Amino acid sequence: MSTTQTRLADVAYRYPTAEAPVFAGLDFTIGAGEFVALVGGSGVGKSTVLRCIAGLITPSHGVIDLPPTPGDGSRASAVVFQDTRLLPWRRLRANVGYGLSGLGLSRAQREDRIDDVLELISMRDFDGRWPHEISGGQAQRIGLARALAVRPQVLLMDEPFSAVDALTRTRLQDELLAIWKRLNMAVLFVTHDIAEATYLADRVCVMRGSPARIVFDETVPVAHPRQREDATLQTFVQRVADAL
Amino acid sequence: MAERQPSNPPPAFAAKRQAGPGATRLRRVVLGVLGLAAFIGLWKCAYLFNWAPRGTIPDPFDVPAALWDEYSSGRMLPAIGSSLIHYVWGLGIGTALGFAVGLMAASSRVFDDIHYMLARVLRPIPPLAWVIFAIAWFQVSHAGAAFVISIGVFWVNYFATASGVRNVDPRFYELARAFGHASFIKRVTSITLPGAMPSILSGVRTGVGQAWMTLIAAELLGVPGMGQEMNSAAGVGAYDAVVVYMLAISLIYTLSDGLFALVENRTLRWRP
Repeated sequence: MSTTQTRLADVAYRYPTAEAPVFAGLDFTIGAGEFVALVGGSGVGKSTVLRCIAGLITPSHGVIDLPPTPGDGSRASAVVFQDTRLLPWRRLRANVGYGLSGLGLSRAQREDRIDDVLELISMRDFDGRWPHEISGGQAQRIGLARALAVRPQVLLMDEPFSAVDALTRTRLQDELLAIWKRLNMAVLFVTHDIAEATYLADRVCVMRGSPARIVFDETVPVAHPRQREDATLQTFVQRVADAL
Repeated sequence: MAERQPSNPPPAFAAKRQAGPGATRLRRVVLGVLGLAAFIGLWKCAYLFNWAPRGTIPDPFDVPAALWDEYSSGRMLPAIGSSLIHYVWGLGIGTALGFAVGLMAASSRVFDDIHYMLARVLRPIPPLAWVIFAIAWFQVSHAGAAFVISIGVFWVNYFATASGVRNVDPRFYELARAFGHASFIKRVTSITLPGAMPSILSGVRTGVGQAWMTLIAAELLGVPGMGQEMNSAAGVGAYDAVVVYMLAISLIYTLSDGLFALVENRTLRWRP
């Protein structure tokens, strides 16, 4: 259970080879347990924001505060990648456990964690398989499980469902919502799909411009559980589209 | 145009394609044995009709007797043993060093910069050219043979490891950082080595074969082993004994390669 928020203050990032920053003056927070969608066109730097929060790259300017980890074998953040990035030389079970070393967990505790998250994504029976033996949607679920296993304070999802077919995407979205509700963690969901963002998130932020800034930041006016064709939701979709 | 290209295959082709995999395999074995028999027949002809200088082609049917002779005279097993010692040491040292230097070259920029010119100078020197120094430094000894063998094996493994490591998908390194494997040791053991393993192992396997080639050549120059036995057999015109050692080399190579293929398949069973 996280008690504090993820906060970005005046964050900018410039690629080493570029003249101007991709984005600048970024200020926003993700509350404890809040689901925030970050929307923007391609090349606007949404994934770069996510990488900054994950600590994979260092912002050129500004401060990023992550919730403190309670010291129970959890990490501040965990990433779900669009390309799943399962390690082909590890069985699914070992892939799910990849982030668990160095957290001070005993072997039995690690095995329990893996069992729990595999249960959560309904893939308990698959744990002995190799990554090349499963479908794209299943691989994406394993990628989610790998991130959930480290009990992140904030789950960072980088266009996780954009490479799967439409039917699978819808199912994965609903599964994600169910899991989010059970685990009560903060989520930052980067996507270019407005319908996806508005269906999933508590709050939608839009990035635009060069250097990009947050030009739109509003709470979705419909409570969960939502109907995809809900009229209020559709109106909101239109407003996000206008901001984009 | 269209008339010259029938859309359906001729019936004979279709019938052949319908034969089961078992039949195909049998056919392959039968043809393989026939090919082997034809070769021995040709060899026998060469012997009978003196296609080469008199006495230099042995009768293929004398080879089993020559094998027994070499074995019972007590020459063969010590020669094989001696060769195996060269082989194991040369292969082991060359593989370990080639792997280590290749790994460093691909993972340390400084090391890469320091060594690349040296590597470019040394690489084209054939391993056998080092025989001169091997004899000068180690005299005629096991160490000298192992030294020469290890040089060839070193380069094969060096290139295989370095290119394998360089070709590891950089996105996996980002994953390692995101999931607490940022330290050098954790990164190398969880990403670099398994990612480069297919290339590393194919290098080792090439080395397993290459080591035999240099081994025999090094021994022909005087170090005790099968190569030397071949040389002394040829010296007294016993070409059938030379063939015995050639076949022994072939058999040992096939065994070692097969053994290594098992290891390779087991290690890389994650591959589709």
